[in-house]
Amino acid sequence: MAQTAPPKKTPAPTNWKTWLGVAPFFLFAILFLFLPSLRLITASFSAPDGSFTLDNIKQLFTVPLIVNAYKLSIQISAITALGGGILGFLLAYSVTVGGLPKSLRPILMTFSGVASNFAGVPLAFAFVATIGRQGFITHVLKDYLGLDLYSAGFNLYSFAGLSLVYMYFQFPLMALIMAPALDGLKREWREAAENLGATSTQYWLRVAMPVLLPSILGAMILLFGNAFGAYATAYALTGGRIGIVTIQIGAQIRGDVLYNPGLGYAMAVGMVIIMAISLAGYSWLQAKTERWLR
Amino acid sequence: MSYLSLQNLTKQFGDTVVVDNFNLEIEKGEFVSFLGPSGCGKTTTLRMVAGFETPTSGKILLDGADITDKAPNQRNVGMIFQSYALFPNMTVAQNIGFGLNVRKLQKEVIKQRVDEMISLIHLEAHANKYPYQLSGGQQQRVSLARALAIRPQVLLLDEPLSALDAKIRVSLRSEIRSIQKSLGITAIFVTHDQEEALSISDRIVVMNAGEMEQVGTPFEIYNFPKTRFVANFVGSLNTADAEIIDPANGIISVGGVQFVSAEGAKGKNKGDKVKIAIRPERFSFAAQQHKDNVLEAIIENITFLGSVVRIQIKIGNSSFNMDTFNNPFLELPKIGSKQQVTCSKEAVLVLE
Amino acid sequence: MKFITRLRKFPFFAWLWFFIGALYFVLPLFATFEFSLSWDPAVPFKAYQRAFEDVRFWRSFIASNIFAVITIIACIILVAPTAYWIRLRLPQARRIVEFITLMPFVVPAIILVFGLIRVYSQPITIPFTDIVLMQAFTQFKLGTNILMIAGYMVLSMPYMYRSVDTGMRTVDILTLTEAAQSLGASWFVIITRVILPNIRSALLSGALLTFAIVVGEVILASFLGVNAFGPYLFLLGQHRAYEPAALSFVSFLLTWFAMGLIQLVTGGQGQTAGGH
Repeated sequence: MAQTAPPKKTPAPTNWKTWLGVAPFFLFAILFLFLPSLRLITASFSAPDGSFTLDNIKQLFTVPLIVNAYKLSIQISAITALGGGILGFLLAYSVTVGGLPKSLRPILMTFSGVASNFAGVPLAFAFVATIGRQGFITHVLKDYLGLDLYSAGFNLYSFAGLSLVYMYFQFPLMALIMAPALDGLKREWREAAENLGATSTQYWLRVAMPVLLPSILGAMILLFGNAFGAYATAYALTGGRIGIVTIQIGAQIRGDVLYNPGLGYAMAVGMVIIMAISLAGYSWLQAKTERWLR
Repeated sequence: MSYLSLQNLTKQFGDTVVVDNFNLEIEKGEFVSFLGPSGCGKTTTLRMVAGFETPTSGKILLDGADITDKAPNQRNVGMIFQSYALFPNMTVAQNIGFGLNVRKLQKEVIKQRVDEMISLIHLEAHANKYPYQLSGGQQQRVSLARALAIRPQVLLLDEPLSALDAKIRVSLRSEIRSIQKSLGITAIFVTHDQEEALSISDRIVVMNAGEMEQVGTPFEIYNFPKTRFVANFVGSLNTADAEIIDPANGIISVGGVQFVSAEGAKGKNKGDKVKIAIRPERFSFAAQQHKDNVLEAIIENITFLGSVVRIQIKIGNSSFNMDTFNNPFLELPKIGSKQQVTCSKEAVLVLE
Repeated sequence: MKFITRLRKFPFFAWLWFFIGALYFVLPLFATFEFSLSWDPAVPFKAYQRAFEDVRFWRSFIASNIFAVITIIACIILVAPTAYWIRLRLPQARRIVEFITLMPFVVPAIILVFGLIRVYSQPITIPFTDIVLMQAFTQFKLGTNILMIAGYMVLSMPYMYRSVDTGMRTVDILTLTEAAQSLGASWFVIITRVILPNIRSALLSGALLTFAIVVGEVILASFLGVNAFGPYLFLLGQHRAYEPAALSFVSFLLTWFAMGLIQLVTGGQGQTAGGH
């Protein structure tokens, strides 16, 4: 809209004393965020005798245990980001432009908030009670439909089972992110498209989806990072049998299972790099969305 | 047979009647404005023509065909929105070509039509820009081109200028009008700004609370308002309570002072209490010229408005505003002094 | 309206997705609840009784609550003045601070605890000397608790900051401050009568989110060896069947309660967290 902005308030000239106001925050961040992270980074370049080495980084790509850990982590993150992304988007769609009664949206949003926070130990137990060997659904399927999940090969305590559990906090997160994005779809765009002769499908394919794509991709990248960094759920469910990166790091913290502390640090740094790339991707796509929808 | 016929259109939401029995016949190539305050139903009526609202009852006929039940994407009417509604993921050229694309016309045909439209709105240099790179006025012009590209039978404009700066509003409205005239396209223009409606319409429909107050040319609406609402809404107006003295000769008493009205007293009885209305610019100083009514006035206040000078005068015990053109060489009377003012008997209106 | 057009407008697919989503949400919760009741057909709430009778439950749960409250207070004291200061005097610091609030995503809990332990399991010395200022934090109980609270603060700081910052922007705290100053108010009055009341709901929302994060948190607590609710629940799950289910369901109810409060307080603009 063409409006004159309020006069820009030029910030008062600052000297170092003004920066004192944010000093406590910076100090806290340095002490408990940057220092530990830095320590991990420098330690990842240390050999067991203390000298500088690039060996640890190299071994990230050669040691089978570690390569496998990254492969598993990337797989489960990608799968649940995609699956959770699609289901979450559809859910957000249904309560925003989908035409459901307005009262359903706050209910969905509250539940999504709860579910995306419900990860960790309680979630693992909940799924055990649902589709574990003695779980509710397992029984229902056996007794009423004659379908024996576990004989058919399904196992909750496997990669597939863990993915299912991860989905529980992934798709609500997607719904929470996409609902405001879908709100940003102006009603007039749809009307203008209809007015110009487009069908509903044509509107979605040519206008709505292209406009939403940066948000959707950005959110999925966020979901990827979300799953990659998860630990408690996996540990509570499988006890460390599925060797994703976080589990391996956890094992390394407890006791030097790799017989080379530097390697553990390198794994941690590798993970931080992946998370950082994921965050950068999300931020870039966010900026793109905002620019378009100004 | 008129080109666009709106017959007994009514729209009801629950218990609220938003548009009540709207009837209008519009000729091909005519530019009609719906003028009224917020909530009067003008936008709802427009949206019924576009197909975004379904009438509770009534019919819409376009060039003889009944389009009342047709879906919005099948009506071949072009709509311009207040918020421009340009597709943010497409360039100017792609936006304009959208309707043609959807109709699956050939690439060459589309390109030619798009180029034609872009030069119509003089935005050749911006053809590959995205909406966020354009100003409000430019975006609205693209929106116009986009709607015209599909060669619609009717152009519907929903307060297209309300979001723009004052200067752009003035230039863009004449641009819209000249494009409409040169293409000969029928148009309905919704606005709450009377100056817009008066300056560019062939006819104006003044609406209030879902009902049509008056339909007429801008000249008619302004000079011969039929209802109190129209008189108040369009142009500024002086009103005062009065009593009919002599219906046959049109003599009306306003607080003891006698006015002569041309048509106003017709059909009324002696002693009827009415409200009279006189436009401020119909008053002038009697020193320059004598008209039918010559009245004694006391100057109460003088406000300089630029090209117009507004003088508040007291006639009898009623206050009136009198507008005269600013003339730097004419000395204005002093506040508190007595002057003689005059106005013709046609200027004295009696409101329903 | 014609029946056919009415039918065409019925959002069939929207209801389908909603139904699927609702099922995915509700089934595990229902199953957990059902399982928690099935210990003893005669005494349906036996699992709950036993769970709440356990002294260790109360110890760890209360401990977690205390940690949560301390974290909330410390976080507010750290974050709110910073957010305010940036708005008022130092807009240049905004980008840096917002970058910092994004860091906990890049350094998730497992990595954070890794780094914290490695840094603070050594005594604090003056650089380049052997003079010991303080023994390693991990060596004594208070030190571990401090480390954990600091870790919790790192995890919840992004949400607290975003909540407070949005709240301050919504009420345009800058203009309010200037209005108060022009009317002659002292800083104390400004803080207590202008700022705090207006960001109350933002603070509450941030506090509730922090509460949910801290009470459910497992990683920091277990690696730092603190007796919090998370590790307790995990250990319980190794030995018992029905009590963990009961407590999980209770934990869900608590989270739901907290989120519901947030919705109420913020009018529907809640935030998300993830304590995985």
